[in-house]
Amino acid sequence: MHLRYRLMPAVFIAGLFCYAGPARAEDALPKAEEILDKFVEATGGKAAYEKIHNEKATGTFEFVGKGVKGAMTNYRAEPNKMYMRIDLENIGAIEDGTDGETAWTLSVVQGPHIKQGEERAVSLREATLRAPLEWRKLYKNAETAAVEDVNGQACYKLVLTPNEGKPETQYYDKKSNLLVKMSVTVVSQMGEIPTETTVSDYKEQDGLLSPRKSHHTVLGQEFEITINQIEYNTEMPKDRFDLPAEIKALATK
Amino acid sequence: MRSLRILAAALVSSALAWSQPPLTAEQKRLNKESFEFIWSTIRDQYWDPTFGGADWTAVHDEFRPRIERANTMAEARTVMSQMLARLGKSHFGIIPADVYGDLDSREEGGTASAGFDVRVIENRALVTSVEEDSPAARQGVHAGWEIIRIDGADLAPRLEKVADLYRSSTMRELYLMRSVLGKLSGEEGSLVQIQFRDGTGSRIDKEIQRIRPQGSLAKFGYLPPSYVWIKSRKIAQDIGYIAFNLFLDPARLMPEFGDAVHYFADCPGIIIDLRGNPGGLGIMAMGMAGWFIDKPDQRLGTMYTRQAPVKFAVNPRPPVYHGALAILVDGCSASTSEVFAGGMKDLGRARIFGTRTAGAALPSAIDRLPNGDALQHALADYISEGGRTLEGVGVIPDVEVKLTREALLAGHDPVLDAAIEWIKARK
Repeated sequence: MHLRYRLMPAVFIAGLFCYAGPARAEDALPKAEEILDKFVEATGGKAAYEKIHNEKATGTFEFVGKGVKGAMTNYRAEPNKMYMRIDLENIGAIEDGTDGETAWTLSVVQGPHIKQGEERAVSLREATLRAPLEWRKLYKNAETAAVEDVNGQACYKLVLTPNEGKPETQYYDKKSNLLVKMSVTVVSQMGEIPTETTVSDYKEQDGLLSPRKSHHTVLGQEFEITINQIEYNTEMPKDRFDLPAEIKALATK
Repeated sequence: MRSLRILAAALVSSALAWSQPPLTAEQKRLNKESFEFIWSTIRDQYWDPTFGGADWTAVHDEFRPRIERANTMAEARTVMSQMLARLGKSHFGIIPADVYGDLDSREEGGTASAGFDVRVIENRALVTSVEEDSPAARQGVHAGWEIIRIDGADLAPRLEKVADLYRSSTMRELYLMRSVLGKLSGEEGSLVQIQFRDGTGSRIDKEIQRIRPQGSLAKFGYLPPSYVWIKSRKIAQDIGYIAFNLFLDPARLMPEFGDAVHYFADCPGIIIDLRGNPGGLGIMAMGMAGWFIDKPDQRLGTMYTRQAPVKFAVNPRPPVYHGALAILVDGCSASTSEVFAGGMKDLGRARIFGTRTAGAALPSAIDRLPNGDALQHALADYISEGGRTLEGVGVIPDVEVKLTREALLAGHDPVLDAAIEWIKARK
C-alpha cells in the first residue's frame, strides 16, 4: 500500500506539468528496494520463503523451432547449493552445479569445467535458494531506471549491480509486482554472452508463487523451459550436491 | 576466393547476356523480390552491423534501379552478385537454379549409397574406398577406378558444370564430390548402372545394388536424419586410428571417441582421419580437443556473431593423451572438421596431413530465392586461434600429400602413410 501513496503525489505533480509534455519518468519511479520487496510479498512473503530449505523442480527444455528437447531436473538447497541436469534427446546429459563452494559444469559433449571468477560468482548467486529475500547480500546496488512496456505490460525496469559481475536488468510488472523479464550478460568460458529471458505462468506451491515457463534468447537462438512440478522440503540424497568424479579429478589435477 | 568466383561469373554472364531471352514481367517481379530478400537478409543477419564500412542502405539505393532495369537472368544475377560483393567477403554468392539442383544430393531421392566413396581428382571421379562385403565389393569394384557414366549419363559434363561454377573456390572439391555422390545415391535396394574405367584403362559396366549407408541413423532436431559412423583400430602395429563421417550423434560418438583415445593411451601416436567429413556440431570439436589438451583456458578459435563473440573453449578431459597427434584432411573436410583441425594446428597440438580443406567453416545458410536461384550466406565469422580466417581459405596442411589414381590402384593411401611415417620417426 505505501507504494501507492508514494505514487499519488508524483501523479499530481505530473498533472501540473502536463501542458509541457510528459514528466520525466524518474520523477515517478519508486525505489528499487521497494519493488524487490513487493516482489517478495507478491510471491508469498518472507515467512513463506523462510520455510523453504530445499527445492526440486522438474520440467522440460526445448529449443524453439529446432526439434531439440529434453527433460530437466533442478535441485537447490540452502544456502546456495544447486544441481541441474538436462537430458537432451540425441545429445546427452548436460549437468551444472555447485556445492556452495565449487561451481562446475559437465557434459558428454564438452567435458568437465570448473568455473572461476565472475562465472563462478554468477553460479553461486543463481544457486541461492532464497535469493529474493537475500538480494541485498547478493547485489551492491539496485536502481529503478525507467518504466517500460514488456509484452503490453507496463513494467519497472531495475538495474541491479551484483557484488561480482555484470549489472543485470530486471523488469517487474507494475500491477502484479511479479518479475516478467531479465536481461543478463552471462559470463562463461565461451565469452560474455548477452541473454534475454521472459518468465510467465506463475503458479502457487506451498504458499510460494513461481514462474512455470521461461523463454530465453541467446545468440539468436531461442529455448524454453517449462516447469511441470515443484517440490519443497523434499527428501534428497546426502550426496546430491557432491562434486561428480570428473570434476573431482579436474580439481585435484 | 568466392568473391572472385562471383565476379568472374558476373563477367561471363554479362558476356552471354545478348543470347539470353528477355525476362517476362513476372520474372522481373520475382527478381526484384529476390533482390529485396537478399538485401534484407544481409541487413538482419550479417554478423558485422557496420557491414565492414559499407552503407548498406546506400548500397540498396544504388543497386535497386539496376535490378529494375535488368532484362535477362544473367543481368539480374550480376546485379545481385555485385551488391553482395560490396561486403568484401568471400562466402556470399548466388547459386543459379539449374546448378542448385546438382549440388543438393537430397534432390536425387534417397540416401542409400553405391557402397563406395568418391573423390574428384584431376577432373576424374575416382573410387577412393569400397565398403567390405558390399555389393560393389563383391562385384570387384576397386579403389582407383574412374567413374565414367552413371545410369547412362556421362559424368564429365556434370563435373565440368560444377567445376566451372566453383573454379576459384576452395569448396570446389567438396561440391564435385557431392555432385557425384548425389547421382550415385538412391533408394535402398535400387540398382545403379555405372561404367568404370579400371586400372588397365578398360571400360567396365556394372549394375550395383544400393545399400543403406554405414553407421547408425542419427537425428538432430529437424535436420534430415543422417547415418553416422565411427571406426577405430590400431594400425601399423601400435598407432591409434580414429575416423568418423560426421560431427553428429554426440550421445554415441563422444563416448566412443573418448574410449578410443583412452584405449590408445600407450600408443606413440594417434591419427584422426577427417577426410570427407563435412562437419556438424561445432561444440563437438571443443569436446574432442579436450582429450588431447591438458592446459586450461585454451580455445580452438572464436566465432563472431552479431550478438557477441563466442570462444570455442577447450575443457581438458583427464586423463589427457600426450602422444603425437596427426589429423588427415582433404578438400571435402569442412566446417567443424576445419574448426578442429585448424584449432589443433594453431595450438601446436597436431600435425595436419593431406590437402587444403574446403574453407567452409562458417555456419551458413542456403536460402531459396523467389526467382528460383539460391542465396548462400554466412551467419557468423570464425577466426582460428592462430588469428587466421578459415572461410574461403581452409586449413593448410603442414604436410601436403595428394591422393593419386596410381596410388589408389596400388592399394596405397599416401596421406595415411605420411602420418604413420611421421609418428614412427618421433618414437
